[in-house]
Amino acid sequence: MAKVYRSAVIAAPAKTVWDYVRDFNALPKWHPAIATSEIEAGSPADRVGCVRRFTRRSDGGLLREQLLALSDAERTFTYSILVSPMPVANYTATMRFTPITKGNLTLAEWWAEFDVTQGPDADTVSDIGDNVFVAGFAALNTHFSKK
Amino acid sequence: MTKVFVSAVIDAPIAKVWAKMRDFNGLPDWHPRFSRSHIEDGLRSDTIGCIRNFDIVGGAGTIRERLLTLSDAEYTMTYCILDAPLPVEGYVATLKLYPITVGDQTLGTWSAEFKVVSGREEDVVDAVANGTFGKAFEVMNELLGRAR
Repeated sequence: MAKVYRSAVIAAPAKTVWDYVRDFNALPKWHPAIATSEIEAGSPADRVGCVRRFTRRSDGGLLREQLLALSDAERTFTYSILVSPMPVANYTATMRFTPITKGNLTLAEWWAEFDVTQGPDADTVSDIGDNVFVAGFAALNTHFSKK
Repeated sequence: MTKVFVSAVIDAPIAKVWAKMRDFNGLPDWHPRFSRSHIEDGLRSDTIGCIRNFDIVGGAGTIRERLLTLSDAEYTMTYCILDAPLPVEGYVATLKLYPITVGDQTLGTWSAEFKVVSGREEDVVDAVANGTFGKAFEVMNELLGRAR
């Protein structure tokens, strides 16, 4: 089992950040790597068990991910990958947003566990950690710095 | 039930911050609000259930607290107050650190729940949130922060 964990300070209050990212269908709105997204079967995006179907901007690659947990109390959600162009299996990931009271900022955390099905573990771990997770944090900071 | 939650970025790696803060008998070594501490009954300070017995500086009294949880895996400790010169009941507090991988810093979080049994609630909250928890993270930044 490979594990990846990344975290960063986001320059906005936790409620503001959470309101922006809790929508399981909102990846194209905030993540630069994602082009399109829809929730399958006309389900609401905050129904646990719903599936988001989205495409990568780089190559149009299709991903399907299922929402496993969503908590407005803990500002966290967990999902698993059903289909992906990445060489992973048994992939489960969680995002969590914790208030930083000094300065009214947010700690964003994003972590995943998975099996790597092709190539060295370290390559996939750094690809997901840096090109997906840290790139997402950077995009959030860019978004909130413009407000 | 009154709740307090304080958190701050500490500009140092989590291993350094945790090494300093995990010692349940170490408060007077770094927290300016407290002096003299010992663990009762000769127990080690990482024994779950041990009691720390320490003083507030300036003769403001003695506090006894019992260690309920200590996790090096989760960088967290939980304890409750047994005796303190504070008008509180049912006081349970948790210190938890989070690694900030971008920049190799640490988020310190410190929370408590308790019932205020006399006096003004905001005075008790201020003493806990600012005098104890917030001050602790300020001191960690002074002691360990890279910019200092």
